[in-house]
Amino acid sequence: MRIMNLECKRILKAKSTWILLALSLLLSVLLAWLPMAYCYSSYTDEEGNEITLIGRASVFYEKQRQAQAAGAVTPERVRAAVEAYQECLGRYGVTESYDLPQGVYEREILPFAPLLHGVKEAFADPDTGMAPGIMEISPEWIDNYYTVCEDRLDALMKMEQPDDPSVQNRAAGMYERVKKPFMVYPGFTTNVMDYQNILGFLVLLFCVVTAAPVFSADYQSGADDILRCAKHGRARLGAVRAAAVLGISAFTCLICFTVYIFTVDSLFGWDCTRTDLQMMYSIVTLTDMSVGQLQWFFAFAGLLSVLAAVSLTLFLSSVLRNTMASLAAAAAFCMMPVIVSMAVPGTASTWICSLLPASGVSIQASILYAITDFQFLNLAGMPVWTPYAMVGANILEIPLFLFLAVRSYSRHTVR
Amino acid sequence: MELQLDHITKVFRDRRAVDDISLHVTSGVWGLLGANGAGKTTLMRMIAGIMKPTSGKILYDGVSVGTLGERYRQVFGYLPQDFGFCRDFSVGDYLEYMAALKGLTRRQGLKRIRELLEQVSLGDVREKKIARLSGGMKRRVGIAQALLNDPEVLVLDEPTGGLDPGERVRFRNLLSEFARDRIVLISTHIVPDVEYIATSHAIVKEGKLLAVGDTEELVRLAEGKVWSGRIPACEVPEYESCLRIVNLRNENDGTVSVRYLAEQPFDGMSVPEVPRLEDLYLWMFPQNEREEE
Repeated sequence: MRIMNLECKRILKAKSTWILLALSLLLSVLLAWLPMAYCYSSYTDEEGNEITLIGRASVFYEKQRQAQAAGAVTPERVRAAVEAYQECLGRYGVTESYDLPQGVYEREILPFAPLLHGVKEAFADPDTGMAPGIMEISPEWIDNYYTVCEDRLDALMKMEQPDDPSVQNRAAGMYERVKKPFMVYPGFTTNVMDYQNILGFLVLLFCVVTAAPVFSADYQSGADDILRCAKHGRARLGAVRAAAVLGISAFTCLICFTVYIFTVDSLFGWDCTRTDLQMMYSIVTLTDMSVGQLQWFFAFAGLLSVLAAVSLTLFLSSVLRNTMASLAAAAAFCMMPVIVSMAVPGTASTWICSLLPASGVSIQASILYAITDFQFLNLAGMPVWTPYAMVGANILEIPLFLFLAVRSYSRHTVR
Repeated sequence: MELQLDHITKVFRDRRAVDDISLHVTSGVWGLLGANGAGKTTLMRMIAGIMKPTSGKILYDGVSVGTLGERYRQVFGYLPQDFGFCRDFSVGDYLEYMAALKGLTRRQGLKRIRELLEQVSLGDVREKKIARLSGGMKRRVGIAQALLNDPEVLVLDEPTGGLDPGERVRFRNLLSEFARDRIVLISTHIVPDVEYIATSHAIVKEGKLLAVGDTEELVRLAEGKVWSGRIPACEVPEYESCLRIVNLRNENDGTVSVRYLAEQPFDGMSVPEVPRLEDLYLWMFPQNEREEE
C-alpha cells in the first residue's frame, strides 16, 4: 500500500498529469455547454416580428411549447398528432411541413412534434426501406402502432441480416422486451450524446498519454536499471504502477463523465432524461433504456473502454523501449477503430471495432452508435449484439493486458 | 559471503562483450578495472540481474541469483553508469520511493535517508528536484540510493564520474567505512579511485579477465617496467611517440622529468621506479588501444 501511495504521489507530482487532469475537467464543462449553445429557435410574435432564441432560452421556449406532448406515447396520442398534422397541412394545401407559411409550424405543429418522431420510419416500405410522408399515412393504421413498429424491425432485420434468422429472432426478442408505450419528455437533443462521445475520446487520449511513458520512460532514462534491482522492483512494482495508472484513469473518467452528465442535465432539465431512446433515435432501437440511462451506461462503457485502452498502453509501454514509440503505438490503437470503421468493409469491420479496446469511445464507431444500430456478431452460431460484445471484450481485455504488462515488465532485461 | 561468477559469457549480435569470465568475489572492496568498452558495464549488469548472460552462472553464497530473486535483491545495491531517475522527483521523494521498493518501513527509510543525506552532503537539497542538481550531486543521490538498504553486495559502475576531488575523497572514505563484511564491487577506469580502498582487483580487457589479485600482487606484474628519466624539452613529442609516458614534469634546466613504462630503459640514466596500480593499468591498456576502444 505504501508503494502504491508513493507511486500515485509520483504520477500526481508530474506537471503533465495535472495539466491533463485540469484540461479534462475544463473540457467536461465546455463540451456540456456546447450542445446547448447550438440550440436555436425562432417564432413570430403577435406583432408579426420574427424572434430568434438561442441557447438556454431556446431550450426553455421549446420545452414550454411542447409541454403537452410530454408523457406516454400511446397509439391514441400518436394518431391524434398525425391527424392534427394532416389537418394543418391540408388546410394550407401543402404536403410537407417546410412548405407551410412562416410561423405556422412553430404555432401549430411544434407543440406535438415530439409525438411524430418515428412515425414515418415505422411505416417505411418493408422492401425498400423508403419512409412515406406523414400525409400518406392513414390515421387508422396507427391504432396498432407498436405492432407496426415490431413489423418494421422484422423487415429491417431481414434487410440487414438476410441470411441469419437467429439474429432476426434475437433482435425481435430484444425489441419485444422494450417497455411500451414509449415515453417522451421534450427538450433534449442527440447532440448531447455525441458530445459525451467526444469527451470520452478526449479523456481516452489524455489517459493514454499519461500511461504511455509509465514503463518505457524509465527504460529510456535508465532509471529502470536501478528500480528492478530493488526488492520489490519487478512484478510488484509493475503491478503497483499499472494499478496506479488505472486508478488515476478511472478517477479521471468518472469525474469527467459525472461533471458532464450533471452539467448537461442541469442545463437541459432532468425531466428530459426520462425520454426513451426510441423517441430520440430509431423507433425500433433494440434496447430498453431512457436517455438518462443511456448517459450512465455510455459513461460506464466508456470507462471500461478507457481502462482497456490504458491497459493495452501499459502493455505497449512495458514492451517498447522508448516513450515516443509507446506513445505512437498507443495513439495508433486509439485511432484504429475510426480507421477500421471507414476502411474495412462488412462484418470484418464490425468484429475488429467490437474487439479493439478503444472502440467504446472512438469517434464514429463508439458503443453509442452500436447501441442505436442493429449489428450482431455471430459467435459460434450465437448472435451477440455489438454493444454487449464491446463491453464483454473490454472486461476481458483489462485483466489480460494488465497481466501481460506486469509479466513483460518483470521479465524485461537490458539489451 | 561470496559472489561466484562461473564462466560468464555475453554475446551481442556482432561481438563478445564478456568472454568466459570466472571470478570468486569475497567480502571487501573490489576494483573492476578496464578501459572503456572492456565489458565492465555488461558484467556489472549481469551481476545486477538486469541482463541475462548468454552462458554461465552467477551464484550468491552458492545459490543462483536468478533462483534467489527477491532475496538477492533485498541484500543488493546498484548504481549504474548512467544514473537515471524520474524527472519530477525531489531528492527526498526519490529516496523515500526507493526505500519503499527496497522493503524498508517508512520509519526505517526516513532514518536511513537522513543519515545518508548527511553522509553524502546533500542534507540541504532534500526538497530540490534531482533534475536541477549538478552532475556531482546527482551522482551522490545515486550513491545514496544504492546504500539505502545497507546492502551486503554493492555494485557501483563508474561511481565517481562527475565528482570533484573533495567529493571523491569523501566517497572513498564512505565506502571504506561501509565495506566491512560486505562485497563492494567498483567498476572504473580511474585507477586512483580504487587503488587505496580496494583490497582486490580484477582487470578486464576485451571481455576477458586478464588478472585478479590484491594490489601488491598485481603491482608486482609491473615490476621492472616503470622508469624515470630526463629528456630535453624539445624532444618530448619524439619520445611520446615511442615511449609509454605516464607522467611529465618540466624542470628549470630546460629538461623534462618523465615517468615511463618500458621493458628496458631508453638510456643508461633512467632509474627504476616502484610501480603503482596505475602503472600496471597503463601497461595493460596502452594509450593507442584505449583510444581505439
